[in-house]
Amino acid sequence: MEFTALFLSALVVMAVSWWGSHRLALALFSIALVASVAIFLHHATDTLNLSF
Amino acid sequence: MNRSISVTLNALGLYGIVLVLVAAFAAQILLNELPCPLCLLQRVLFSMLAIGPILNIRFGPRPSHYALSLLAAVVGAIVSARQILLHIMPGDPGYGSALLGYHYYTWAFIGFAAAIVLVAIVLLFDDRSRDVAEARPAGPFADGAVRLVIGLTAINVISTLLECGFGACADNPTLYELLRWLR
Repeated sequence: MEFTALFLSALVVMAVSWWGSHRLALALFSIALVASVAIFLHHATDTLNLSF
Repeated sequence: MNRSISVTLNALGLYGIVLVLVAAFAAQILLNELPCPLCLLQRVLFSMLAIGPILNIRFGPRPSHYALSLLAAVVGAIVSARQILLHIMPGDPGYGSALLGYHYYTWAFIGFAAAIVLVAIVLLFDDRSRDVAEARPAGPFADGAVRLVIGLTAINVISTLLECGFGACADNPTLYELLRWLR
């Protein structure tokens, strides 16, 4: 569900960028990017089998 | 570099993103390989990579628009690098089929890294930061690129809803959850 919401937010940002206001597009992009990072951190819980 | 050349380069970038999203869909539909959560996140970030060029085409090239592309590309590169590291151990078959020897997430990493380099090169030669950028109608080439990438993102919204349904997406999805739920 969270990925559907992310795609939807990317779609909204694109639509606002093309048909809406510039400042709103920048603000919505920031929110969508922060949400993407948050969802990535939520999913990045598996241990990497690496040894340096 | 004048506005016309910048807009053309941004439109070309959008067609590149369209190609990546179509290739991902082709693998999903033709090979019946459903994207995993990290794969979906990489697709989202390719879509977000398109927002900088869309703003450049509509309002004229600005450094802030290129910055949006750089931010999306850096996050995308981090996500795809993590998936590469998850499957880097010898004997690990990786996730999904390989295309020309590389899995989708490896191609995604190459794509995001190439985007960072290309945006940096365009910024080197794009000296329009002192100009007053204003909204102007785009030509058919750029307009088509924007509409294609918006359409593909809309299709991704539907596809992801079908795949994940209203719950959390499966780590290793094998069927469309919403279709199963509707039956």
